[in-house]
Amino acid sequence: MDGKFESTTGIELATTRRRFILGTGAVLAGGMLARPAIAQAKELTVISNIGNADQRAVLQRLADEYSKASGVAVTINNMDHEAHKTAIRSYLVVGAPDVCFWFSGNRMKAFVKRGLFDDISDLYEREGYKNVLGATTGALTVDDKQYGLPLGGLLWGMFYRKDVFEEKGWTAPSTIEELMALAEQAKSAGMVPVSMGTKEMWPAAGWFDHMNLRISGLEKHLALMDGKLPYTDASLKPVFDSWEDLIRADLFTPNHTSSGWEQAAAALAQKKAAMMDLGGFIKYGFPPEDVDQIAYAPFPVIDKAMPRYEDFSLNSVHIPKNGKNKENARDFLAYFYKPENLAAFLEAESAVPPRNDCPPSKDPLINAAVESMKTVVGTAQYYDRDTDPDMAQEGLKGFQEFMVKPERRDQILARLEATRQRIFKG
Amino acid sequence: MMRLWRRHRHWLAPTLFILPGALLFGIVIILASVQTIWVSFFDWDGVGPMQWVGLANYEQLAEDPQFYVSLKNNVIWLGMFMLAPPLGLALALLLNQAIAGMKFLKSMFFVPLVLASVTVGVVFTWVYDPTFGLLSLIYGWFGATAPALLSDEHLVSFAVVIAALWPQVAFCLVLFLAGLNNLNEDLIGAGRVDGARGSAMLLHVVLPQLREVSFIALAVTVIGALRSFDMVAVMTSGGPFGSSTVLAYQMYEQSIFSYRFGYGAAIATVLFAIMAAFIAWYLRTLLRPEQETA
Repeated sequence: MDGKFESTTGIELATTRRRFILGTGAVLAGGMLARPAIAQAKELTVISNIGNADQRAVLQRLADEYSKASGVAVTINNMDHEAHKTAIRSYLVVGAPDVCFWFSGNRMKAFVKRGLFDDISDLYEREGYKNVLGATTGALTVDDKQYGLPLGGLLWGMFYRKDVFEEKGWTAPSTIEELMALAEQAKSAGMVPVSMGTKEMWPAAGWFDHMNLRISGLEKHLALMDGKLPYTDASLKPVFDSWEDLIRADLFTPNHTSSGWEQAAAALAQKKAAMMDLGGFIKYGFPPEDVDQIAYAPFPVIDKAMPRYEDFSLNSVHIPKNGKNKENARDFLAYFYKPENLAAFLEAESAVPPRNDCPPSKDPLINAAVESMKTVVGTAQYYDRDTDPDMAQEGLKGFQEFMVKPERRDQILARLEATRQRIFKG
Repeated sequence: MMRLWRRHRHWLAPTLFILPGALLFGIVIILASVQTIWVSFFDWDGVGPMQWVGLANYEQLAEDPQFYVSLKNNVIWLGMFMLAPPLGLALALLLNQAIAGMKFLKSMFFVPLVLASVTVGVVFTWVYDPTFGLLSLIYGWFGATAPALLSDEHLVSFAVVIAALWPQVAFCLVLFLAGLNNLNEDLIGAGRVDGARGSAMLLHVVLPQLREVSFIALAVTVIGALRSFDMVAVMTSGGPFGSSTVLAYQMYEQSIFSYRFGYGAAIATVLFAIMAAFIAWYLRTLLRPEQETA
C-alpha cells in the first residue's frame, strides 16, 4: 500500500525530466523501504469488547487513520461484552489477536501469571507513559513490569436527575442519615428511593463495596478481597447491619432480581426512581436529550472518621503474548494512546482519562468525576474485579440473596466463608 | 484387486459407509465424554496445569447445597415436562380433523417450534415482567398485582419450565399428528363395525397404534428436560441467587465463570450417569417389542 501511494505522487511530480528522475528515485526508494515491511504480513487484528456504538466508531476511526499512515491493515473484531469474558480465555491460548481489551488489576494478573499477556514495559519506557499516568500504572504492573495500558476509569457513586431534585427541592445526600431522610421523601412522592437491578448480580456487590469502604476502610476491604479476612469477621457486622436497615426501609426497587441494571437506569431516567448507584456509563440508560440532567454525588458518608475511599475501576488494553505482530501492535497502541485520541475514545463512555495530559473534556460527567477524584484517598476496583473470579461468583450470588432475604445473613456468610477457605486455602 | 473386493465386500462395503459417521461420533461424542470423565478427577482452571485430586470434586459436590438445588430443579423440569406428551396428543387429536382452515390453525401451533429457544425465553421474560409484562396487565384488569415470578425463589423454576413447555408441546404435537396420519384405516373400520366409538375407540384402537410415537415423544421429552440449559441461561441466569439453576447450567457456570473445569466436569459426569440410566431403560423397553415382532 505504501509503495502504490508513493508511485502515484512520483508520476504527478514528474513534470520535468529532472523531477522525473528525482521522482523515479523516490519511487524506487519508497519501494525498497516498503518491501521488507510488505514481506512481513502487515496486518493487525484487534478484539474489542466495546458495546457502545459511539465508542466503537471512535476506535474504528483511529484504526483507519493508523492504517492509512502506516500501511498496516487493522481489523477490529467486535464481541459482545459478556461473551468476551469467556472467549478471551481460549483465544489467548489459541488464535490470539494482536491487541485485545480487558480489565486491569486482578483480572489482568490472572492472565499474566499464566504468561498470556506480553510485557510492554519497553513501550512505557519508549513513550514515557509513567510520567503521564502516575499512580494508575500500579493497576497494570506485576513484579515491576507493565502488561497493559490503562483506559478509562469508572468512578462509582450515586447518580440522580438534576431537574427532579430541583423541582422537589432535594439535595444530594452526603451522609447515610440524609439518604434515609431523602428515601422517606422519595417514597411519599411515589418514587423508588434507590433504583436497583440485580439480575446480573454485580450491582448488589457494588453496594456492598461502597458500604464496606465507608465503614471498614480500604485496607480491610482489600484484605477481604485477597481472601485474608474471613467473611464471618466481626468488622463486617456493622456493614450488614446498616445494609439490612436500608433494605428493611424499602430503599431499593422491589423485585430487583427481575430487572437488569439497564432497566434500573431507565427507571431513573423516567423519574420513577430518585437515585442510582453506578458509574458514568449510566448515561446509556438515558435518552440523548436527557443526558445533561444526570448529576453525580459520592456514596454517602457512614463513618465520619473514615477517609474517602471509592471504587474506581480501570479498563485496559493489552498485547497477547501469542499475538503474531507485536511490533506493530506496540505502534498501534502508541497511536491509539496519544492524548487527543485517547480522550476522544473515553469521552464516549464518560470515563476518567488516565493520562494527565489529555485535553479537558466537554462532558460534565467526566469533569465531575475528575473533580471528585481529587478528594479520594484510595481506590479499590470493584468486587468482581478485586477478588478471585471463583470467589466473586459466589459472592455476587450471596449479596443478591442478602438483598432479598436479609434474614439469611448468617447462612450466606457461612457459605461465603466456606468458599473463601476452599479458594484461598485457609 | 477385483477378486479381493468381491471376496470381502460383504463386510467392506458397510464398514466404509459407516466409517465417517463412526469416526465423527467417536471423536465428538465418545472421546469428549471420556475426556470429561477424566477431567473430573483433576483440579483445573481451564488454562493452567491440571492437578490430580482423585474424587475430591465429587466429595465437594456431595456437600454443595447448590448441587441439591440444581438436582431438585431438574426433577421439577422432568416432572412438568411429562405434561408435554399428553398435551401434545390432546392437541393433535383436536387438530386432526378435516375442517376448513385447519391447516392454518395447525401451522399456528407449530410456530413455537420454529422459534429459537432464546427467542421463546426472551418473550416469556417480557410476559413475566412485573412492571410492564402481559401477566401484570392481566392481573391489573382484575385489580391485583402480579407476582414477580422470576424473582421468587420458589416459583421461578416453574415459570421457566412453562416457557420451555410451549415449544416442547408443539414438538409432541407434530410427532402425534404424524402418527395419526399413519393409522391403519382397516383397524379403525373394524373397530367401528364392532361398535367402538369415542373413548373406547381412542383407548383400544388409536392409542395402541401410537405406541411407538408415544415412546419417541417421551424419550425426547425426558432428554429435553434433563439437558435444559438455554431457557435458564436466557431467562434467569440461574437466579435469583441460584434458585433456578439446573445441573447443566451449574456445570457451565462453574467451568466458565468460576474457572473450575474439574468441578464442572464432575457435574457433567453426574448428569451423564443420570441420562445413561434413563437411556439404558429406554433402549431395553424400546427394543423388546421389536424383537417380538421380528
